[in-house]
Amino acid sequence: MSEKELGKKLDRCLADSAVKLGAGLGLGIVFSVVFFKRHTWPVAFGLGMGLGMAYTNCQNDLRAPYLIQRNIKEQ
Amino acid sequence: MAANLFPVLKLATKVTIAGGALYVTYDSGLLGGSEQGSEVLGKAKAAIPPAVDEWVKYFGFKLPAFPKIGFSPIEAWNSGVQSSISALSSGPTALGGYTNQGLQYLKDLTK
Repeated sequence: MSEKELGKKLDRCLADSAVKLGAGLGLGIVFSVVFFKRHTWPVAFGLGMGLGMAYTNCQNDLRAPYLIQRNIKEQ
Repeated sequence: MAANLFPVLKLATKVTIAGGALYVTYDSGLLGGSEQGSEVLGKAKAAIPPAVDEWVKYFGFKLPAFPKIGFSPIEAWNSGVQSSISALSSGPTALGGYTNQGLQYLKDLTK
């Protein structure tokens, strides 16, 4: 992976983390207000889920060049 | 009959609201891969100024214009990293030079 590509991937990772954290926060607030009587834990749960999704996406993105792809012959 | 129905209706409304929020986030690609996420962020950033303008027109007062910041944190960070690394790399040589100068000065004093 060239340095430029790595830079782009890291930029994407950061942007994606921001989006996922925001979405997790939003959904956590919605669920907390609607179902869980305004407790704080659904918000924390949503933030955690967003963070986890962003981390996994970053991980897959950075590992993609090293995957060994299998050629499935058309039959 | 109505008393029996009200809690069910309440629950149904809540499920609709929460489910709708979940569906909207799924549909707009917020929960997808990295590319989709950064795309959505770009679209949101592009859509904020018109939305702010509309709000200002609706409320009828002028927000103070956002001050143009002539300071780019990216440039500042990059130049900071470069200057610190170059200082670190030339540090030992410079230190040796200063030590030599100091020793020379002391030698001159004792002459």
